[in-house]
Amino acid sequence: MSAEPTKSTGPVEPEPVEPVKPVAVKPTDDAAQSVALSAVEGARKAAGTLRDFHEEERLGRAYDAQLLGRLWPFMRPHAKFLYASLSMILVSAGLNLIRPVVMGRLVANAQDDHPQGLVRYGIILSVLVVGMQLLSFVQMYTMQIAGARSMADLRAHIFEFMQRLELRYYDRTPVGRLVTRATNDVDAVGELFASGVLNAIGDLVALIGIVIMMMILDVRMSLIAFGALPVVGVIVWYVRGRARQAYRDIRVKTARLNAFLNEQVSGMSVVQAYAREKGMAAEFDSINVEYREANKSSVFYEAVLDAAIEMVGTVCIASILWWAGLKRVSDPHITFPLVVVFTQYIKQFFEPVSLLATRYTVLQSAMSGAERIFQLLDEKSLEPEGKPTAAATSKAAVDGEAVALDDVTFSYKKGVPVLRDVSFTVKKGERVALVGATGAGKTTVTSLLLRLYELDRGHARVLGKDIASYDRRELRDLFSVVPQDVFLFAGTVATNVAMSDDTPDLTRVEQALARVGALDLFLRRPGGLEAKVDDRGANFSAGERQLLAFARALYKDTPLLILDEATASIDSDTESRLQSALEAVMEGRTALVIAHRLSTIRAVDRIVVFHRGRVIETGSHDELLAKGGVYARLYRLQFAVEELAKPVHQEEAKVAGITSNSFPT
Amino acid sequence: MRETSSIDAADPAAAFPVTLSGQFRRHLPRYVAGTAVLATFQLALNRIDWMSKAAIDAVFGGTPEQVTRPAVFILCLAVVAFVARVSSRWLIFNAGRDAEYQLRALLLHRLHRLGTAFYRTMSAGEIMSRSTGDLQQVRLLLGFGILNVINVALAFASALQVMVKVSTKLTLVSFVMLPFMVVITRSFSRAMFARTRTNQETLGKLSEVLQTNLAGVRIVRSFALEKRERGRFDKVNGAYLDASLALARIRGLMGPLVGATSALGVLAFFWYGASLLQRGPDDGGISRGSFFAFWLAYGRMTWPMIALGFSISIVQRGRAGYERLKQIFDAIPEVTDGPLPEPDDFDGAISVRGLSFAYGDRKVVDDVSFDVPAGKSIAIVGRTGAGKSTVAMLLARLLPTPSKSVLIDGKDVCDLPLSAVRKAIGYAQQDAFLFSTTVARNIGFCLDDAESDDAVRRIREASREAQVLEEALGLPEGFETVVGERGVQLSGGQKQRIALARALVREPKVLVLDDPLSAVDAKTESAILDAVERQAAARTVVLITHRVAAASRCDQIVVLDEGRVLEHGTHDELVDAGGLYAKFAAEQSAKSELDAVDVDDPAPVPGTEALA
Repeated sequence: MSAEPTKSTGPVEPEPVEPVKPVAVKPTDDAAQSVALSAVEGARKAAGTLRDFHEEERLGRAYDAQLLGRLWPFMRPHAKFLYASLSMILVSAGLNLIRPVVMGRLVANAQDDHPQGLVRYGIILSVLVVGMQLLSFVQMYTMQIAGARSMADLRAHIFEFMQRLELRYYDRTPVGRLVTRATNDVDAVGELFASGVLNAIGDLVALIGIVIMMMILDVRMSLIAFGALPVVGVIVWYVRGRARQAYRDIRVKTARLNAFLNEQVSGMSVVQAYAREKGMAAEFDSINVEYREANKSSVFYEAVLDAAIEMVGTVCIASILWWAGLKRVSDPHITFPLVVVFTQYIKQFFEPVSLLATRYTVLQSAMSGAERIFQLLDEKSLEPEGKPTAAATSKAAVDGEAVALDDVTFSYKKGVPVLRDVSFTVKKGERVALVGATGAGKTTVTSLLLRLYELDRGHARVLGKDIASYDRRELRDLFSVVPQDVFLFAGTVATNVAMSDDTPDLTRVEQALARVGALDLFLRRPGGLEAKVDDRGANFSAGERQLLAFARALYKDTPLLILDEATASIDSDTESRLQSALEAVMEGRTALVIAHRLSTIRAVDRIVVFHRGRVIETGSHDELLAKGGVYARLYRLQFAVEELAKPVHQEEAKVAGITSNSFPT
Repeated sequence: MRETSSIDAADPAAAFPVTLSGQFRRHLPRYVAGTAVLATFQLALNRIDWMSKAAIDAVFGGTPEQVTRPAVFILCLAVVAFVARVSSRWLIFNAGRDAEYQLRALLLHRLHRLGTAFYRTMSAGEIMSRSTGDLQQVRLLLGFGILNVINVALAFASALQVMVKVSTKLTLVSFVMLPFMVVITRSFSRAMFARTRTNQETLGKLSEVLQTNLAGVRIVRSFALEKRERGRFDKVNGAYLDASLALARIRGLMGPLVGATSALGVLAFFWYGASLLQRGPDDGGISRGSFFAFWLAYGRMTWPMIALGFSISIVQRGRAGYERLKQIFDAIPEVTDGPLPEPDDFDGAISVRGLSFAYGDRKVVDDVSFDVPAGKSIAIVGRTGAGKSTVAMLLARLLPTPSKSVLIDGKDVCDLPLSAVRKAIGYAQQDAFLFSTTVARNIGFCLDDAESDDAVRRIREASREAQVLEEALGLPEGFETVVGERGVQLSGGQKQRIALARALVREPKVLVLDDPLSAVDAKTESAILDAVERQAAARTVVLITHRVAAASRCDQIVVLDEGRVLEHGTHDELVDAGGLYAKFAAEQSAKSELDAVDVDDPAPVPGTEALA
């Protein structure tokens, strides 16, 4: 009689598949979609590509020594827990093996009227049972400690690795997929420990032990019981293959279902504007139906497996009773206690068998999770390590050089250079504008200076030192960057301005905002500086985001400034605020400005004109005008109109100034 | 809840019962059948116990040769139990799955009908957590919960019949631990659910931190924020580890505690049972067969005893989960169908009369009026935040348009069926949201069959008009290229033009374009404006823009400022008037001439727009 709650042999039905297992419900729009929208029936042409995109989960081998070998370094620091747990599994399997014998002795003593024996074996049995339960808790918990800690380490390792990946990698990989690696995939591996798959080792030992014990007790009765094994084998084999398919379907369909719903919610306004509710509902329905059907078949196979194993167990017991009845007359060896012991062994024998299918699935998904994780970790495109810091070249000392590019060539895609032999110098305290058409390579220059990408050829120096010899952090700490497309973090206005600090210095935040002339704008919001910023700053306009980025730059207060002016989408009011912010932020700094506005161009000391990835003209405004080249043409064209628009600008700037003053800090 | 929407007509989800009891009633036949089958199952188990008793008594009594009959009976009963067990699960679990299916379909159905007011109060993450976690709890209630409640009751009856008949005293002794078991399992499953939720929440936070870190990778690196980011990550990673272990502790503790408790019950049985066995049936004790049968019956009770507490929690959890789903089901759509029938056709004349709109206390549109005759075009110009987009969305009732303020062909849009209004007034929004499917399917979003020859032709035509045909064909798989989550594979300009093509495919009577050109260069812009002009020949066009070059092509221009109409007239009139519009015009013409010089530059390298 099994005293533990063994779900598999009890008459109550464990619901299949989803144990109470954490699923990362992605809070943001595009997170959950490494597996995404369904290809509906009839998407014949699209089928191939869409299927690739859905990244249909391949459930490969359930056991892969190489993958396990790579997991080992993460487990090793916690191996003592693992060893402890594994040895407890073995002890428990041993104790479990003794239990039926003790029960048999108890019954034998009862039958033969030995009260002392009854008490003795009763006490042994209770100690045994309670001890096993205690052991099983300690065993499970140590296993979990080993597992959860290794997985936390693995997760931290993946995170660190991601921080070292080249930006090129991010250019071609959806963020959602990367998030999945560190969350769901790691959890899939962690299930190895959490779901007790490793207890299968104990089960195996137990099975062998049970077979041996039964053979010792009675060979013929054992053979009868084992006669049922092929039947069980056939059932397990039949069900396992199909159940695996069903589990696989469920995993894929769950991901699709959630991705679809998530996308519907984030794209709701499009669906409604296009009145596509019906079509979308139909598409959703097809996934929903597939999901339901996959679940139904898993319900069926699990029910068949559980019930069949129980049936075989009962049949075994019946056969043994029958055989015992036929032989008992001639064979005094067959006793009632023996039958009790046998029955208990048979019950214990079938318990692990029924868990086999689920355990196999957990193992498979753990392996495919590990495979995806290591595929990421095998990625070669890492940022190279910085060379040891070298001293600044003498050139800087002489010229007061702040930033210099020497014959720099760079391409995002092989064979398509974006920059060709670009050279220019920015002196300390100088303000230089980069001018040119979209795609001329201006933004690329700034990315290279920050070492977001590595140069193909040539050299770049910052404060007289080759950027390759900087530690990246050290290099980047020299710059304040105002990007064209400002990224805000979820948090508050204050935490976004004081991004580099753990706790924002509110006085400095206010000062920074006041100096860019936008304090009034942000104080006007409910919550003021503590106003909530949604993920990616979705609740702020493009202009407001720009202003925040200026304030960030002021707050960071570095010697070098990189400013990528926003091109369009900014209305005139915000633009005038931005103009005054620009003045504030450039003051006292070496500034490299990617300029789109003439007013900005006129505020700088020198201009570098880019054309097709080359520098075609360099010089001060006056020099370039005198030269009569491309820039001169641009300027003359612009100047006439700008004169016309100028009064308006000034007036607006004044208005902005007044309003910001009317909200004293 | 109104179910009269014309959009609902063909959506079967609208007819599904939305309440828990409604779902229960809908699947009642299966619950009844499942109960009958479970009764058969428990009866079979009950008979097996008695047959085992007979067999044992035969074997160890005087008549071992009589064992054949009960043994064969047990074999047959085992088969019956097998069939009954499989079919009971099949019936009741599937009822739960069907209920889940219907509730999920209903969920999307309701979500489709809710507007911005709702989505401002409930985030996408929150909606997703309800549609996954809470819906699962409801399904567990309607499948697992119901089956177990029924089965536990029947199992008790079936086992007690054997046990009480063997010995009432032994039964009482064996059940000495039952109350403790129920208390333990109930409190443990409660705590387990609570910790599971905490665990999920910490995992949610973990992926949020990761998501922001990776999406903002450029800024993280540019500002050298790695240390801060690592700190943030370590915090959530540690929290998740703690939550996992807290869950593991309670999960790990429940089994052994229940096991030990039930083991004490088993011990009580073995002790007292053995003493009864000693005495023998003639002496007030029991036979070996009775002992064996009692043992089997008691064994069948172990899991139901555990399940009892667990099932109660499942039922409670399911109800709580349903309450959270209900907040979505019961949310009132702000925009519903009007009473008028759908007109056969629209001419596309738009009148706006004293239109006002406020988000909460903040008035964003204030007494705006204008008329656009059918087939004419209008531009709405203004600064960011002037209320341009709000006006555009109010036209197609994408926000709760006040009645009698927007008329199409003289009819109040609020009086018309919603689907008719949205079909007639095609709105293409500012934020070019693309779905993670192919380019062709994104452009042919409004088409039922994006694969037909006609559809392919229309998709190509619209792509050409939106100046995205060549780029689409240049993608790795052409029109069949999957654009990725929200179109990550595409540049901002490409996304915007694909979204524009999507709007053009639709060929609505009134085309409302909300700033469709913000991420497009000047040359492409003018080509697109040509296309929009061609569109304007066949339909009414409302163009929201801050670009004078675009506005100047329209028949009339409305300038909005702080939600009010500041100026209204043709391009020439407004330039002459020397107001805000004239100011815009002066600034922008300078900019466009600058761009005109730069246009000599070769086309940017494909893809660099997204990379830079």
